[in-house]
Amino acid sequence: MLLAQILVNGILLGGLYGLMGLGMALVWGVLNIVNLAHGSFIMLGGYAVFYLFTLAGIDPLAALPIAMAMLFVFGWLLQRFVLNLIVRSELLNTLLITFGLDVVITYLAQYLFTADFRTINPSYAGANITAAGVTVPLLLLAAFLIALLLAGALWLLLNRLPLGRAIRATAQNLVAARLYGVDPRSVYALTFGLGAALAAAAGGLYGITAHLTPYIGVTLTAKSFVIAIIGGLDNPFHIVLGGIVLGVAESLTALYLGPTYTDVISFGLLVVVLVVRPRRALRAA
Amino acid sequence: MRPWLTLAIIAVAAVLLALLPLTGDAVWIQFGINALLLATCAQAWNILGGFTGYVSFGNSVFYGLGTYGTAAAMTQLGWLFPVGLALGAGAAMVLALLLGIPILRLRGPYFAIATLGLSAAMAAVVSNIDAVGANIGLILPLTRADGMFYELALALLLACTLTVAWLARSRFGSGLVAIREDEDAAASMGVDTTRYKVIALVLSALFTAIAGGIHAYWITFINPASAFDPTLNVQMVIFAVFGGPGTVLGPVVGAFILSAIYEVLASWISTAAAFLFGLVIVLAVIFTPRGLADIFGGVRRHGAAYLLQNIRENRL
Amino acid sequence: MSAAADAIAPATAPVLDARDLTKRFQGLVSVNAVSFTLAKSEILGLIGPNGAGKTTLINMISGALAPSAGELWFEGRRIDGVPAYQRAHLGIGRTFQVMKPFPRLTVLENVAVGALFGFHGGIRSMKEAREAARQCVEFTGLARRIDQSADALGGPDRKRLELAKALAMRPRLLLLDEVMAGLTPVEVDEVVDVIAKIRDSGVTIIVIEHVIKAIRRLSDRILVLHHGEKIAEGDPATVLGDQRVIEAYLGTRRQ
Repeated sequence: MLLAQILVNGILLGGLYGLMGLGMALVWGVLNIVNLAHGSFIMLGGYAVFYLFTLAGIDPLAALPIAMAMLFVFGWLLQRFVLNLIVRSELLNTLLITFGLDVVITYLAQYLFTADFRTINPSYAGANITAAGVTVPLLLLAAFLIALLLAGALWLLLNRLPLGRAIRATAQNLVAARLYGVDPRSVYALTFGLGAALAAAAGGLYGITAHLTPYIGVTLTAKSFVIAIIGGLDNPFHIVLGGIVLGVAESLTALYLGPTYTDVISFGLLVVVLVVRPRRALRAA
Repeated sequence: MRPWLTLAIIAVAAVLLALLPLTGDAVWIQFGINALLLATCAQAWNILGGFTGYVSFGNSVFYGLGTYGTAAAMTQLGWLFPVGLALGAGAAMVLALLLGIPILRLRGPYFAIATLGLSAAMAAVVSNIDAVGANIGLILPLTRADGMFYELALALLLACTLTVAWLARSRFGSGLVAIREDEDAAASMGVDTTRYKVIALVLSALFTAIAGGIHAYWITFINPASAFDPTLNVQMVIFAVFGGPGTVLGPVVGAFILSAIYEVLASWISTAAAFLFGLVIVLAVIFTPRGLADIFGGVRRHGAAYLLQNIRENRL
Repeated sequence: MSAAADAIAPATAPVLDARDLTKRFQGLVSVNAVSFTLAKSEILGLIGPNGAGKTTLINMISGALAPSAGELWFEGRRIDGVPAYQRAHLGIGRTFQVMKPFPRLTVLENVAVGALFGFHGGIRSMKEAREAARQCVEFTGLARRIDQSADALGGPDRKRLELAKALAMRPRLLLLDEVMAGLTPVEVDEVVDVIAKIRDSGVTIIVIEHVIKAIRRLSDRILVLHHGEKIAEGDPATVLGDQRVIEAYLGTRRQ
């Protein structure tokens, strides 16, 4: 029973992880930028939902789309006016600049939001259902379903809508995309905005299930990264699956080895996946 | 730059820096120890990152092993400081050798990410080992000898820089640079790419670990979070890249300039220092994507237009 | 022209002996059971339409690709399991069709890498290696570009740089993958002369080329690949007059 409970927790947590990975993988796959500020976007999304809830009294789940819209605009502007200046530069430079952005965002957040622990705490925060001896926290379940929903929406966008075709064309070949009348700059800004919006959704849900501080960004960036590697950059559902693999692995580790070992496992897993399946990782590039 | 000029600059700088403790100013000496150790780390990173182009975010692992090796040897085993340093450095080199072979097969971002994962995993492993204080850490015997730590750090930086100066004009270094420029072509021309990359990583590990060991004894308190700090690794990368990766003096100059800026910012507006530091990184990447070393030539050729030209080249 | 091939004593092992070399990429056969031998100082012209498997064959000989089946012998020792860098030490040098200069190094530094690491592991002394590299640069007509960085070179000079880099390795077997593509007829003549001189110094050479005139002038023997199979091999006049070869090139197989 305990094992079943742990597995359920892991899977639900994994949905949230998958959502974190989606934005990272999208930006990576299309812009070829490994966004080290992704975790701080998640953090900003969390605080957006927190303040919409505490100051404006908007229900956290209803505040999610608002936070997503805010981060979309933020991401769009950032790409259009800052990252666009170096987008053709080598990989190392994009790593450095997004790291610099992460530092800037983290400290602005600390200045604006203080370093206090924050939790988004709606009245239904503790609600859960019990079935067959397994307790399912409703909020985690909701987070899981929202992650699936957004993965589905992203899949539809990329595979069924003209905008998605433009995004995929740009990811494949800049020159060809231009020939077909796609402006890569606006596609890049849109994609980066979408990545930030997905991060915001993950951040809001993270803030409901765990606490927020301005410093959560680095770890969440690393986790998003692991998930993008496990899931590959091609298919949103694979990324959610990657999140679930990580969530379950972490939960099992916490059960059998103790919670202090979860990071050993998640980052060890990253190294092992990379080394054992380099072909898969390389194909994704 | 002509080799004799490089060596002359190194010699003059080393002598001048060695005299700094004579001022007796404790603040300067402490800043100096930090800056010298950071410069060593940046220079050590340069051996792999600057010469072979393999961007490591795992050098903080070597730093951490040097830190813990020294601290554990001194506190748990009662060994002398130099023996502890050797233990830490040895552990780091063995790890570099064992992990280098599988991980250096990965290219581009995958290598960078694997090393990042490695450093996070190592920090987590160490914080679970009770014998070295788990996540609480270790306290080393207090030694009030900042002058000695300063000279030690300077000697280490000198050794590391001379190694890089040798690389820049040796057959081994040519092989590393060929790997950076085109690994497949290098292999087809006879460079044993795997062995070269692993040796570069081991050398990098050696200097980084000793820097960690010196820092541990100087600061007297270590824990996993500070010993395996990933931001330290990012600092190494930024210093080296800002100064000019693959050059002999660039990483050291980059480290001195940026740590000075950081120190000034911190004393001026302590809370916003990190913020401004982040901003400096962003602006540096935008305006000088090829590092300081490139600026001098670039500005001489094109004047201030050089900065805008960088943007024109890299924007979309 | 084939005097060099005749001169070889039957008892000595051939320089290169390829036995049923095969390369499959995920089920697609790129090179299918190709066998041939090379005698010392011989020039073999390797021709065939695009996608015939010529570069794949070169890649298997240089060690850039491992064959899926077959054996490869070089000067009497089996090398198909030997890594690329060791084959360079044994004396196999190559150029790349998709040129691979070291972009941020000067021409001299590019070529010096070949001298430092090539045959027998190269020349240990930096000074001697640079001197050897300088000679190769001059030999291939790049002297006036010697201190320029490789990414500043134009197409033809990049081709010369590929050749100079391979030459600096002091190879015993030289694999030339389209070093004349995109050159003017005058430049082609220059390169043909250079290659002939290299052969005269005792080097065995495989030349992939689309410039038939150059192939005809250089080759002692021509091997034709089509869809990964060897469809003809022999002296230039016979092979280039072969109906199947003409059809393969003109694409008139299906009549």
